[in-house]
Amino acid sequence: MNKATDNNLMEQVRDGNAGKLAILFERYHVMLYNFFLRLTSNRSISEDLVQDVFIRILKYRSSYKGQDKFLIWLYRIARNTHIDYLRKRKEDISLGEQCDEVPCQEPTPPEKVEQAQEIVRLSQALAKLPLKKREVIILCRFQNLKYKEIAELLGCQIGTVKALIHRSIKELGKAYFELSGGIAS
Amino acid sequence: MKCSQIKKRFSDFLTGEIDKTTRKEIEEHVTACGSCRDELESLSAIWTKLGVLPEEQPSDSVRTRFYTALEKHKQTLEKEKEGPSLGKLLDGWLERWAPKRPVFQFSLALMLLIVGLTAGYFLRAGLQEGREIARLRQEVHQIRQIAEVSLLRQESLSERMRGIDVTSRVEQSAEGTLEALLRIVSSDTNINTRLSAIDALHLLPDYPLIQQDFVESLSEQTSPLVEIALTVSHHIKNL
Repeated sequence: MNKATDNNLMEQVRDGNAGKLAILFERYHVMLYNFFLRLTSNRSISEDLVQDVFIRILKYRSSYKGQDKFLIWLYRIARNTHIDYLRKRKEDISLGEQCDEVPCQEPTPPEKVEQAQEIVRLSQALAKLPLKKREVIILCRFQNLKYKEIAELLGCQIGTVKALIHRSIKELGKAYFELSGGIAS
Repeated sequence: MKCSQIKKRFSDFLTGEIDKTTRKEIEEHVTACGSCRDELESLSAIWTKLGVLPEEQPSDSVRTRFYTALEKHKQTLEKEKEGPSLGKLLDGWLERWAPKRPVFQFSLALMLLIVGLTAGYFLRAGLQEGREIARLRQEVHQIRQIAEVSLLRQESLSERMRGIDVTSRVEQSAEGTLEALLRIVSSDTNINTRLSAIDALHLLPDYPLIQQDFVESLSEQTSPLVEIALTVSHHIKNL
């Protein structure tokens, strides 16, 4: 699953061997699904967006340059897909609409109630952040991207990414403590 | 390091993108600085809490939909390799040349409709006009024929002479005119009329058809002038 292999597979897809995209799909569709799930807090929409990303890869395969890191190119498509989805909806995903959808797919055992509530609060707090701050936290905390990769993806300096992450965590903490009925630090 | 410099490194501290020396500096600073310690603890707490958000698996429909779309794409690629169909070529041509904006598409459609209607109108008008002219020509021809024959059969000498004059000026004699002129040559009471009729018949392109009638009429004539005129006409035509 190294970089060279991803790039090589994508180059083959670009050159007409569409079947190779199946390997890339198996590698990255769960990761993409969780990226969208944290952005939208909606499972059904996240699945649709994953589908859209891979359709776009096929559609715009000729625009892939060999020197690009595949993962960055993939996230760029994913971000554009999400932005287009938001434009279609004409509004950002509101907290009230989506937050109940996130947490539990199964009945929660009594001993895990507290953890489930924590998940709800964190999802709600995340959803309260502006899109860019939400994105940067998700990319850094959950998608494990490095500063350099996030900077490349967002088209900014590494210092800007660091400052943005700092501000985003502070704002997330504030939103979380407000939802917990506490006082923000 | 000052507090502001330390705080700038907090994100590095949380994400782990930090070297050992800097980490140690931060740890030493926050031990001594209550404000920075509070902020770092607060940030670390929420950063750690995010870890409870689980990674989920999408439903099987994601995989099913992807492979269906991939298969469809492969089939499209294979068809493209086989070469574009006539329909696709036409589509491509229209894609390149047809206007994209609906307002221009509507304008083009309207313009083509107007051109079609105008062309249809003029073509129809032209055909009708041609038919009308042919019909009028035929009517004129019939009227002229009636007038000629009618004049040649008039009781009045002057009218008959006028009839002969009219027939001598036309390029093609009407049906019945020849018969009326021959009757005048054979039986008209006036010699001048007979002579005029001979002159008129002599000039007509239908002369070969009446040549025999001229010869037969010669034996019936009583006037030497008419006989001479018939003989001269016959002689000249046979030169």
